[in-house]
Amino acid sequence: MASADKPINTDVPEKDVFTLHFLQSLSNLRRQNTFNSPEKTNDRVKKIKKAAYVSMARAAGGTNRLWSRALLRRAAKENSKVVRFPRRKKRVTCLRRRRSNRRDPVEEEEAERLRNLVPGGGGMETSKLMEETAHYIKCLSMQVKVMQCLVDGLAPK
Amino acid sequence: MSSRRSSRSRQSGSSRISDDQISDLVTKLQHLIPELRRRRSDKVSASKVLQETCNYIRNLHREVDDLSDRLSEFLASTDDYSAEAAIIRSLLDY
Repeated sequence: MASADKPINTDVPEKDVFTLHFLQSLSNLRRQNTFNSPEKTNDRVKKIKKAAYVSMARAAGGTNRLWSRALLRRAAKENSKVVRFPRRKKRVTCLRRRRSNRRDPVEEEEAERLRNLVPGGGGMETSKLMEETAHYIKCLSMQVKVMQCLVDGLAPK
Repeated sequence: MSSRRSSRSRQSGSSRISDDQISDLVTKLQHLIPELRRRRSDKVSASKVLQETCNYIRNLHREVDDLSDRLSEFLASTDDYSAEAAIIRSLLDY
């Protein structure tokens, strides 16, 4: 079957989707009284950071992206929860096949560094890695914008 | 087992991407990275794009760290410095 040259979609949801998910996460933290204990600053920061990444992954489409699946799986493992993802229609094939058989226009060493930065990158073929990276970057900068807005809103004027 | 060139036909329905689409993705990445966006007219090497991408991602991670830190401070206090702060806190059920 010849490879169809479909345009690769890296669209991300609107900012308010990210905001909603993040606020929900923060609200959950609030309910667990995370913000009331002044002694454990580091824990608090860590929890907020984790909430940021998890809510970002959920907002971005949860299990539809390799990076968000990897991120959510990692987060659940830290909570030692058993994660069950619903069966996706399209199977993620050949996770072992990282080295492309073709001549790649892209440097493998650089790609390797990128793999370490993008969640789940280790199992991706180079071309898939780049697609995931584009989406990941968009979501990350969206998440940063949301957090910046909250900080600006809460800060003294 | 199979020859290199026929690998394309083996994976049905998976993301078998052509070289064209790869350079397309490299260009896409280039446009996403502020550092490289200004150099739209110049052709930046794929290697450079990947390099800057890594830097950009690291920067974004650092920003998330920093913002988490500041959010943590603000959320621990109950001071409303502004109307927006009050609204945000009410959204979080303070």
